[in-house]
Amino acid sequence: MPDTDVIVEMRHITKRFPGIVANDDISLQIHTGEIFAFAGENGAGKSTLMSMLFGMYQPDEGEIWVRGKRVDISSPNEAVALGISMVHQHFKLVRNYTVAENIVLGIEPVTRLLGLIPYVNMRPVNKAVRELSERYGLEVDPTSVIEDLPVSTQQRVEILKMLYREAEILIFDEPTAMLTPQEISYLLDIIRKLREDGKTIILITHKLEEIKQVADRCAILNHGKLIATMDVATSSTRDMASKMVGREVIFEIDKTPARPGPVVLEVSDLTVENEHGVDVTQDVSFQIHAGEIFAIAGVAGSGQVELADAVAGLSPVKTGAVLLEGRDITRMLVRPRTLKGVSYIPEDRQDVGLILDFLLEDNLASKSYFKAPFSQHSILHKDAFDAYADDLIRRYDIRCSSGALTLTRSMSGGNQQKAIVAREVEQDARLMIFVQPTRGLDIGAILAIRRRMIEERDKGRAILLVSLELDEILAVADTIGVMFAGRMLKVAPADQMTREEVGEYMMGVKHA
Amino acid sequence: MSAVNTIIIDGLALALPLLVIAIGGIFSERSGIINLALEGLLGFGAFCGALFAYSCVAFHWFAPDSLAPMYLSFIVAAAGGALFAVIHAMLCVKFRANQVISGVVINILSVAMTGFLTSQINKTVFSGPSSRFDLMTAPRLTVPVLSKIPVLGAVFTRFYPFEVLILILLVVFWFILYRTRFGIHVRAAGDNPQALDAAGIEVSRVRFVAVLISGALAGIGGMCFAYSIFSYFSGAIYLGYGYLAIAALIFGNWKIMPTFAACLLFGFAQSGASQLVLLLKVNSSVGDLAMIVPYALTLILLAFFSKHNRAPRSLGEIYDKSKR
Repeated sequence: MPDTDVIVEMRHITKRFPGIVANDDISLQIHTGEIFAFAGENGAGKSTLMSMLFGMYQPDEGEIWVRGKRVDISSPNEAVALGISMVHQHFKLVRNYTVAENIVLGIEPVTRLLGLIPYVNMRPVNKAVRELSERYGLEVDPTSVIEDLPVSTQQRVEILKMLYREAEILIFDEPTAMLTPQEISYLLDIIRKLREDGKTIILITHKLEEIKQVADRCAILNHGKLIATMDVATSSTRDMASKMVGREVIFEIDKTPARPGPVVLEVSDLTVENEHGVDVTQDVSFQIHAGEIFAIAGVAGSGQVELADAVAGLSPVKTGAVLLEGRDITRMLVRPRTLKGVSYIPEDRQDVGLILDFLLEDNLASKSYFKAPFSQHSILHKDAFDAYADDLIRRYDIRCSSGALTLTRSMSGGNQQKAIVAREVEQDARLMIFVQPTRGLDIGAILAIRRRMIEERDKGRAILLVSLELDEILAVADTIGVMFAGRMLKVAPADQMTREEVGEYMMGVKHA
Repeated sequence: MSAVNTIIIDGLALALPLLVIAIGGIFSERSGIINLALEGLLGFGAFCGALFAYSCVAFHWFAPDSLAPMYLSFIVAAAGGALFAVIHAMLCVKFRANQVISGVVINILSVAMTGFLTSQINKTVFSGPSSRFDLMTAPRLTVPVLSKIPVLGAVFTRFYPFEVLILILLVVFWFILYRTRFGIHVRAAGDNPQALDAAGIEVSRVRFVAVLISGALAGIGGMCFAYSIFSYFSGAIYLGYGYLAIAALIFGNWKIMPTFAACLLFGFAQSGASQLVLLLKVNSSVGDLAMIVPYALTLILLAFFSKHNRAPRSLGEIYDKSKR
């Protein structure tokens, strides 16, 4: 019996890639006008499944039905013709074009100059885009150029692109991975507004919080299999999480009170300027003791990343001083800093943290390759790399297809991050800097990294954590410093500040 | 005629052919295909055009003093350049070869092939031992009233007909690049081909056509040199002006109007330098030094200004549709 309410139906979909079954006999129905979420850890197969609906892959077995008709979607163009659109994790925007030019790319309206020469007329497009933007509260100016816009606005341009093409089924692939908490709640509001307008929304995410906030129903995938389709309103986050991971999840992290020792890092009146000569941090001062986790909270762009870069030696200091165990390291180069006891887990693990086209063993030794046993008389000893990598892979549970000789690019994001953490922990540094260490990782990997931070703290290291996720800061910090517009507004022990207070300092509403 | 007038007249006669070649390069590079082959393309285009014009005279296809062979030879040169550019387009777009290597190989191939063909055709068809095709010298035109304006009047004095053609092409191709759907697709292909593909446009088709345009315009530029600097076609046509056009378009930030300015700068630098040599009355071997002025200027300008330049973001990137 055909159900008129069903807009998309997948019947026994199976998709295999060399070595893995990405989707294993998945059947489900998505209703018109609902927000349907796909949850699952990285590699569970949710993106693959939706890529098939968007025509980027074809299923090996099974059928896709859209609006009661069986369809073969062999390209994204055909998906678009069916009213299906997708916002990818990596935006598909021409960076030196305006918003409106991106939106009409491929379907540019043509006017005839003097009734003769065809040319592209942007005026009606600008107007239409402005109207759409206002209607959904997207706050996008059609004439601004993409490269001048922040990531969150670029994402809204992608949404406008779908709306302009009158898509009915909107697929969002991990839309919140790059956004700050404020931007996330704004986006979720937009998604709700789209549903009110009758659109069907498909949300791919591994953040259960967001599913709980907006979704009507949720399909949970694990290792390519559909585990359950649940009504979000009647399911608990804990229940969803255990289905997603395949076992009971313990959210709580055991954390004993800190036993701070002597001062390890002292930053005084630090001012850092960016490449345009603008001061991105201004007279920032704080101390971190041995056995203490000092977490810097703040909305994106408050200067916290630049501060961490300056402490790590990646960007030059304009004025002020950085002291490590009483020794001035303000102008020290990166390698002596590393040798003196600073380790660094950067925000961008793929561009700064790793050399993706190197083997795993080379990346694991990339901060010690010049020392014995890796190098003797300037000659590298591959056996030493192998042995060291095998040891780290075992102890840090790094999952990789060919052991020490795995190409780093082929590893999942979570395991790449584990490799960086392994390398940096093994530095045995007095000060460890973690910048956004859990961004884009799944629950299992997030908890492992948070536990690792506390473990290292208990060994007596000083830890500087920079995170945009307030939950993370509240979960692990002993001391919280809140930055706003380049200034350290407030430093206080973590147990003396409520979530709301931290939030107010982050927005610059409250002053110390 | 004053030295300033000569500088302007000779400067324009060099700058405008340079510009038409550079516009071709802009089309190719804005679509994402590095085009070092401009030198080879202009040479092959000029070879085809010259062969046609030479045949016209040898076989008496037109009246002896007709200008038609000259004008038609520009069309033939454009077609020849585009034909030769098919090699670059095939290698870079279809077979995903390294674009730098493809460009360099085409330059070498062009020199060798035109040299060989010129002497072979001369020997077998025109039964002469020559290694060149002789052409007439292009006529020079002067606009009656405007040319009497002090200094600026030189712009309207003793110019070649092809200079007018190039100014028309400048307007036409500016319009195509910035105001038509095709132009929008070309520029998008060089910035983010994935975005263009997602919008349902065939990236490889856009790039293929852009490379053909670069060949056609380079062929026209080469024909200009054959009719102005040389009045014949031979291996001497490979003077390095293709590379100078690349320098001009990089200096012009891959935009047509700034590239026009860069070409004028190079043109006037060279004509200025040769006038200076004449005025100082040094001997001709020292005078040849004047020839290096545009190149030296290129080096200096690029060293100082290129850090502000931004190449198309996907320039040289092979676009693989299956890799998303």
